[in-house]
Amino acid sequence: MTRLLTVAVNSLLAAGLYAEMAYGLAVIYGVMRIINLAHAGIMMLGAYVTLTLFSRFGVDPFLAFFLVGPLFLAFGMALYRTVVRRLPRGGGAPTMGSLLLLFGVWLVLQNFAYLVWSGDTQSILTSYTMRSVSLLGVRVGVPSLLVFAASGASLLFLNLLLRTTYLGKAIRAVTQNRDAALLAGIDAEMISAVAFGLGCAFAGVAGGMLSTLYAFTPDFGRSFLLKSFCIIVLGGMESVTGVAAGALVLAVVENTLAVYTSVPISFQDAITFAILFAALVALPEGLSGLFARAPRLRGAR
Amino acid sequence: MPAEPLLSVRGLAKRFGGLLAVAGVDFDVARGEVFGVIGPNGAGKTTLFGCLVGALRPTAGEVRFAGEAIVGRPCHAIARRGLVRTHQIVRPFRDMTVEENVAIGAHFGRGAHRGASAARAVRAVLERTGLAARAGALAGTLTIGELKRLEIARALATEPAALCLDEVMGGLNPGEIAGAVALIRAIREGGVTVLMIEHHVHAVAAVSDRIMVLNFGRKIAEGAPAAVLSDPAVVEAYLGSEAPVEAA
Amino acid sequence: MSRLGAAAAAAAALAALGAPLLLGRGTLNDLWNLAFAVILASSWNILGGFAGQVSLGYSAFLGIGAYTTVLLSLRGLDPFATLVPGALLAAAFSVVVGLPGFRLRGPYFTIATIGVGEAVRVAASSVSFTGGSSGVRMPAGSFDFGRNYLAMVGLAIAAVAVAALVRRSAFGRALAAIRQDVDGAEALGVDSTRYKLAAHALSAALVALAGGLYAINFQYIAPGAVFDFRLSLSIVLMPIVGGIGTIVGPLLGALVVSTIQLKLLELPALRDSYLFIYGGLLIVVILFEPKGLVGLAGRLLAALRRASAPPRTAGAG
Repeated sequence: MTRLLTVAVNSLLAAGLYAEMAYGLAVIYGVMRIINLAHAGIMMLGAYVTLTLFSRFGVDPFLAFFLVGPLFLAFGMALYRTVVRRLPRGGGAPTMGSLLLLFGVWLVLQNFAYLVWSGDTQSILTSYTMRSVSLLGVRVGVPSLLVFAASGASLLFLNLLLRTTYLGKAIRAVTQNRDAALLAGIDAEMISAVAFGLGCAFAGVAGGMLSTLYAFTPDFGRSFLLKSFCIIVLGGMESVTGVAAGALVLAVVENTLAVYTSVPISFQDAITFAILFAALVALPEGLSGLFARAPRLRGAR
Repeated sequence: MPAEPLLSVRGLAKRFGGLLAVAGVDFDVARGEVFGVIGPNGAGKTTLFGCLVGALRPTAGEVRFAGEAIVGRPCHAIARRGLVRTHQIVRPFRDMTVEENVAIGAHFGRGAHRGASAARAVRAVLERTGLAARAGALAGTLTIGELKRLEIARALATEPAALCLDEVMGGLNPGEIAGAVALIRAIREGGVTVLMIEHHVHAVAAVSDRIMVLNFGRKIAEGAPAAVLSDPAVVEAYLGSEAPVEAA
Repeated sequence: MSRLGAAAAAAAALAALGAPLLLGRGTLNDLWNLAFAVILASSWNILGGFAGQVSLGYSAFLGIGAYTTVLLSLRGLDPFATLVPGALLAAAFSVVVGLPGFRLRGPYFTIATIGVGEAVRVAASSVSFTGGSSGVRMPAGSFDFGRNYLAMVGLAIAAVAVAALVRRSAFGRALAAIRQDVDGAEALGVDSTRYKLAAHALSAALVALAGGLYAINFQYIAPGAVFDFRLSLSIVLMPIVGGIGTIVGPLLGALVVSTIQLKLLELPALRDSYLFIYGGLLIVVILFEPKGLVGLAGRLLAALRRASAPPRTAGAG
C-alpha cells in the first residue's frame, strides 16, 4: 500500500515536469510539423540561465521562470526568424532538413554553454533543496512539489491562452487542420514564429525546473528530449490534455519499475525507449499518423 | 460452370473516424474484363481502390484475388501477386529518370526481372506507353500528360494480372484522352484485367464491359454501360453534383 | 560511375595501399584515420543517403564491433578472426533495432536512433563483462601498424566499392524509391521494411568491421570513446557535408571532417569549439547547399560552362 502510494505520488509529480517539457516539443510539431531537435539544447540553456540568475543575482529559481519564460519566447522567435524560416518547406511531413538543421543549432548551443559556463557539472542549491515534506505518508522533496505546482500553473495558463486569445485559437486551428486554417487567412509566418517561441519558452522553463532537481552540464538534456518525444508519441500532439496523459503514462511506468523492480537508475533511459518501442509495436496504426501505412491526408509533394 | 472471377469483393467497408467512406460494397470482376467505377466526388472510389491493393486496411469485408483472401496483406505483397493501382495524383520518383521509375516496377512487381531481362521489360513498356523518347529524362521534368503515362507505365512494368487505374485521364486534353483510351484497350488486349475510376463518363462507357456506380460509399448500379447510364438512380445521383453526360 | 571516375578511384586506391613505401608514420596515421572515416561515412550513406533513413545511433555498431574484437581476443581468438562475429552481431542488432524502428517514418526514426545509441552506451558502461566505464585493453601481443594500415585502407576500398555496387543494383533502386516515396514504392511491390532492414544490416556490419580494426590499432577501448554521441554525429556529418546519397560525397566529407579533426582541432584556440564548427557546418549545408560539396561542385561546373559558352540569348529572361 505504501509502495503503491509512493508510485502514485511520485508519478504525479514527475508527470507535471514531463508535461511541461513535452509541450514545448508538441506545440512546434503541431503548428510547423517540425521536430525541434534543439529542444534538448534549449532546456540545457534554460538550466544555465536559471543558474546564473540564481548565483549572480540571487533570484530564486522559481521566480526566475517569470524572466526565463519571456526571454526564451523572444529567443525562440528570433531563432525562427533568422534560421528556421529559411528551411525549404516540405509539405505535411517533417523534413529531414529541419531535423538536421535544428540538430546543428543544438550543437552550437552546447558549445556556447561550454564556453560561457565551462564543462563542469553545475547544480542549484537553495535553502529548500534538501527539504522534504510528507504527502499521504510519502516523503517528497520540496523542489519536486514546487516544480509540479509551477508546471501545473503554467500549463493551465497556457490552456487559458489557447482557448481565449486570438493567437491561441489560431495555434489550435493550425494544429488541428493546417490547410483549412491557412485557407481561412491565418498568417502562417506569424503563427509559426509564435509557436516556435512558445515551444522554446516551455523548453527553457522546463530546463530551469530540471536545474532545481538535477545536476547538469552542457551535454545535459538528451535523455529529456527522448522522454519528451516518447510522451508526444504516446499522447499525441493535438492538445495539452493529450500531452499531459502521455506524460502521466511515462511517469507511471518509470516509477512503477523503480519501486517494484531493481532496475538500476542508469537504465532509466533504456526503459523509456523500451516503452516507446513497445508502444510502436503495440499500436502500429495508432497515433497521429506517425506510423508507416497510417492513412494520411497528404497530397503529392 | 462459369469461371471463378479474378477479383471478388464482399461487404467491403472503410470508416475514417465518423465517415463511412465505403459502406459495404459487393462486386466481381472477371478475368480479361474492363470494369469501370464511376460516381460523384467523394463517393468512395479512390478509398475502394486503396482497400483493394492494401494501401488502406478495410474496416470490414472480404477481398479475394485469384482465389486468395488478400485483406490484411501488405501493399507490396498484393502488388507482387499482380493487383496494382495507379494514383490519381501522380507520384513519380522525381529524382529518377523515366527508365529508372519503370525499372522499379519491373524489378519488384510480379515479373521480378533482374539484369538484362529487366532492361528488356522496361524497354517494352516504354514503347507501349509512348515514353521511349523520354527514357533518360528526370521524372520531375515531365509534362502532366507524360506523368500520367509514366504512372501507368510503372504499374504495367510490374506485369499485373489486374490493373486499377485511378483517373488516368484527369487533366488531359481531348487528343490525349483518345490516346489513353487506345492505351487501355491495348492493355486489355495484352491480357490484363482493368478496373478504372474515371470522371470522363463517355470515355469509361467506351472502353468498359461493365460499370459500377458508387454514391456515398454504396453501390447504386452495376451492369452494361448503356443500361447503367440511363438508370434513374444514377442520373439522380449525378444531378446532385454534376451531370454524367457533361463530364466528358 | 564514368570510366574516368573508375580509373581515378583505382589510382587513388593503389596510391593509398602503396603509401607505406613512401610516407612517414605521422602521415600514415592520418591516412589510417581518413580510411576509418571513409568506411563510416560510406557505410552510413547506404541507409542514410540511399534509403533516406537518417540514423544518429551508428556508434552502437562501431562499439559492438570494437568490443567483440577485444573481448574475443582476450579469450584467445586471433584479433582479425574476431571481425566476422563482430560484424554479424552488429547486423543482428541492427535488425532488432530496425524491426520496431522502421515502423517510424523518416524523422521519427531518427529520434528513436538517438535513444538506441544512448541505451547501448549506458548498457556498455553498466555491465561488468565490458569492463564498465573504465574500458578494456587488448591482450598484449604483436602490434603491427603496417598490417593495421593495410587492413583499414583495404576495408575502406571495399566499403566504397560495396556502396557503388549497391547503388547500381536493383537493391539500390529499391532504396532510392523508398527514399523518394515509400508508399509509391510499396504500391509497385517494393517490400520497404525488408530493404531498409537489409541496408541497415549491411551498413552496420561494415561499421562494426571498422570498429574491430579501430580496437586492434588502438589496443584499448572504453564506452566514452567508441559509443560517443560525437562519433555518431561525425558519422552523419561526413556524408551530409560531402553530398548525401552519392558515392563521392562521403569521401569528400570524410576528407573535410577528418582534416578538421586532425588539423584544425589540434590548434589550442579551436580545441573547445568543435561543436561550433560541426553545428555550423550542418546549418550552412542544410540551408545553402543540401546536396553538399558534390552539389556545390555541380553548381560551379554549370556556372563555368555558362560563362565559357557564347551567349545565345542575350537580353532574354
